[in-house]
Amino acid sequence: MPTVDTNAESLNAHVASDRNEPETAAPVFSVRNLWKVFGPKAERVPGSDLADLSPEELREKTGCTVAVRDVSFDVRPGECFVVMGLSGSGKSTLVRCLTRLIEPTSGTIAIDGEDVRGMDKGALRDLRRHRAAMVFQHFGLLPHRTVLDNVAYGLEIQGVGKAERRAKAAEMVEKVGLAGLEARRPGQLSGGQQQRVGLARALAADPEVLLFDEPFSALDPLIRRDMQEEVVRLNRDEGRTMVFITHDLSEALRVGDRIALMRGGRVVQCGTPEEIVGSPADDYVRDFVRDVPREQVLTVRRAMRPVRSAGEAEAGAALNPATTVADAIEAVARTGAPARVVDAGRCLGIVDFKSLLSIVAGLDRIPGRVHSLKKAAA
Amino acid sequence: MSSATTTVPPRAVAPPGRLRAALRRPAARKLLLLGAVTAVLAPFAAARWGSGAWPDALTVDLAGPLGRANDWIIDNRDGHWLFLYFFGHISNAIITAVRGVYLVLLALGWAGVTAGASLLAWRLAGVRAAVTALASFAVCGLLGMWVPTMRTLALMIVAVAASVAVGALLGLAAGLSDRTFRALRPVLDTMQALPAFAYLLPVVLVFGIGVAPAVLATVVYAAPPMARLTAMGLRGTDQGVLEAVDSLGATGRQRLLTARLPLARRELLLGVNQSIMMALSMAVIASVIGADGLGDRVYQALSTVDVGSALAAGIPIVLLAIVLDRTTAGHRSVGNRSAGRNGWAQSHPRTRTRTLTTWAVTAAAVVALGRLVGANSWPDGWTVAIAGPVNEAKDWMVDHLYSGIPGIGGTADWAAHYTGWVLDPLRDGLQGLPWWGALMIVAALAWLIGTWRTTVTAVLSLAAIGVLGRWNLAMDTLSQVLAAVVVTLVLGFAVAVVAARSPRVDRLLRPVLDVFQTMPQFVYLIPVVALFGIGRAPAAAAAIVYALPAVVRIVSQGLRQADPAALESARSLGATGGQQLRQVQFPLARAELLLAVNQAVVLVLSVVIIGGLVGGGALGYEVVFGLAQGDLATGLMAGTAIACLGLMLDRVTQPTKPKEG
Repeated sequence: MPTVDTNAESLNAHVASDRNEPETAAPVFSVRNLWKVFGPKAERVPGSDLADLSPEELREKTGCTVAVRDVSFDVRPGECFVVMGLSGSGKSTLVRCLTRLIEPTSGTIAIDGEDVRGMDKGALRDLRRHRAAMVFQHFGLLPHRTVLDNVAYGLEIQGVGKAERRAKAAEMVEKVGLAGLEARRPGQLSGGQQQRVGLARALAADPEVLLFDEPFSALDPLIRRDMQEEVVRLNRDEGRTMVFITHDLSEALRVGDRIALMRGGRVVQCGTPEEIVGSPADDYVRDFVRDVPREQVLTVRRAMRPVRSAGEAEAGAALNPATTVADAIEAVARTGAPARVVDAGRCLGIVDFKSLLSIVAGLDRIPGRVHSLKKAAA
Repeated sequence: MSSATTTVPPRAVAPPGRLRAALRRPAARKLLLLGAVTAVLAPFAAARWGSGAWPDALTVDLAGPLGRANDWIIDNRDGHWLFLYFFGHISNAIITAVRGVYLVLLALGWAGVTAGASLLAWRLAGVRAAVTALASFAVCGLLGMWVPTMRTLALMIVAVAASVAVGALLGLAAGLSDRTFRALRPVLDTMQALPAFAYLLPVVLVFGIGVAPAVLATVVYAAPPMARLTAMGLRGTDQGVLEAVDSLGATGRQRLLTARLPLARRELLLGVNQSIMMALSMAVIASVIGADGLGDRVYQALSTVDVGSALAAGIPIVLLAIVLDRTTAGHRSVGNRSAGRNGWAQSHPRTRTRTLTTWAVTAAAVVALGRLVGANSWPDGWTVAIAGPVNEAKDWMVDHLYSGIPGIGGTADWAAHYTGWVLDPLRDGLQGLPWWGALMIVAALAWLIGTWRTTVTAVLSLAAIGVLGRWNLAMDTLSQVLAAVVVTLVLGFAVAVVAARSPRVDRLLRPVLDVFQTMPQFVYLIPVVALFGIGRAPAAAAAIVYALPAVVRIVSQGLRQADPAALESARSLGATGGQQLRQVQFPLARAELLLAVNQAVVLVLSVVIIGGLVGGGALGYEVVFGLAQGDLATGLMAGTAIACLGLMLDRVTQPTKPKEG
């Protein structure tokens, strides 16, 4: 079924051109060839032969550990950019490098085209105060302050007057659903509530970008779900740009517009959830996404086959290309007939039982296997 | 020592297979290495300088130079610029400050001071502390000790203010800079291990006898805990919080003021509390170098074995200690409460202003009350002289309890037996030990328990004592310390095991331990003199009573903290109580047990040294003698030897740091 492959490629290109419009939307964060090496004389490692050594060899030889290895990506305005990886993959280090909470070893970071690594102390403080706010896994709240004063803390640091910052903080507390708990101390709140305080504190400064470092990993599953929805809402409704670190694939798929998958400090694949699940770049990613319910992530764009007859393009239910396969199955099952994939009045393709089921069955997953199956059928 | 002598011989006769297995243990390897070194060096050293006590050839006579230095200081104290423009100013500032505080206390009058102290205690620690303060000051007055109490209090206030300030600054530096911390920590560790007496002589050398050196010695003694706890508090800040603070763009100053210091609040308050308790302890001992007040009264009374007068001055010291501890420790619990629920800091700004106003008004009322009642000092008619009755009781005790009680003997008999059967043989044994043998035993012990660093320090300290020519005296002191430590540990472990197993015993014991731990070392001398008379035995008794609470507390805490899951699994396997204790609780509490030994040694040494005041002899007496005779060189050398002995004992018992975690 080579058609599937070509379809997928053109579709990827389409998605990419859809989102990637450099002339209209310059990236918020632009990271190029970023390295972070821990250890003595770390600056000699990036770009040298040393970088090609295995982590064990490198540690033995130089005492250094590479946490982030030659990473490049752009974060576009209004998107939620997820960096995902298992523990030790360098994702938390990466996000800290963005505001230089950890000083990068080499590479460039730009925020709105402005070089972050070249900033002096004052400019960097300004960046942290007004442009990028961070939410932490372990909250990082001040235990001796009330909820309200914790939320107002960022503003206090900026030098905002007491009345003003308290008013703003009260608004944020209300917004994250903690109204009535203003006078409590962090120690008296549940984990989920504490993280809401953390979120409110980050929001209070009205930053351009929100950075989340595994914000919900310490929470129990139900609360985690609530918080994820909160984040999605902030992203959709307020158009906040976000960089979201997580080790949880389902979380990444739920909140992410694009996902960068990290392993051993390197980004092994960067793309939409559909690209990651649908076209894993290598065996590692494939292994990673194996248990994902594909029909809930992949869309009909990927499942559709070309229109074979003029009649097909006219009849049947019309589906948006962004419809998930799961929803399409429901529509097709209801009507009992193939459905059309329609974008702006133009029929892009057809989904029927066979094409939808082959997605569920994962037949599109391994091109070789599809070919061999096809050959066997022929 | 015992471990060194009992473990080596079996290994020497062990079959080759077991020998190799034994050699694989690091302890055995260390011992073997030391043994080899000794086998090579000892005959040489013995042949060159002779065996027995420290050879004269290896001592350096410092008495001459020190005496000349002392003379020079005395001659130049009124003329040299160093004294005129530096030490003189320090001295004058201290004297002025103490005098000023004393005058303020007098001006407040007894009613004002009592009411003010009670209100302060109430504010900081609640009603119970206030009642304690009220009763305590009243008792001080009733005992006719009002003026000495105020003198001690004035000295304390100045010394505590200075040590908290100095300690906080040092702690701040060490908390913020890694390099300062690394440099400061061993110094603070060492200072906390040294007996109070070792601090007296150097300040006397420079400042002479009087209030100024007393305050200075107190500050030097009391500042380390504050510095240490401040540094610990600042360094212990949750890194996650600090990172969050950084991520919000805080400046260094904001970070310190809004995050690090508030988060270290508990340690800071604990530091203040510890500083106060250390300062009181030292302020009393400093009577030996001219601090007047309660300590002086006890000192004078003890030197004439006037137990009644000593007790009359000792009770106010104890009460002062309890009041100060309750008041400042209460502060700690208020801190906890405000971290949890309704603290002062949380209250509305308007209420806070109102509270401040209330306080100002109350303070004014207290002063007015003090003036109205009129008398600055406690009225003479309201005192109760207890010295007479107490001395009669003591005489009765001398007649009836000291000896001749059928079957059990008497306290004086016990003291004689302890001295004759324990202390004398031990002292003779230690003094008879070849000097290189003593060095090697210390090295072996220190290396087995600690690291090679602690070993080197311990051996050098002991050698320094020999070089100073105080070998035999130090061995005398050491024999007293060792005997008392053994008794302390046996008693302490027994009590701690009982306390750890029975919550009821623990509940009963806790307040007793609290009171015992707050009392200054000095006051322990009073009851033991009453019971045992004068000599080395009462000094040992005081040392044991002083060190016991700390040992009990540390050990029982260690035993109780043993992982409940491990205990439960031992129980499920059918372990008896004794087996649980031996096989689970003791091994798990290893760090605490070693700490208890270390503390026992340090605390016992500090009191054994003070025992020089009640006939303990040895190094402590040399210091007292040096001070009394104005022979500072002798005193200073004894003081240095004390410091070396303290350092040696501390290092020998210092467990390896990583194993603690």
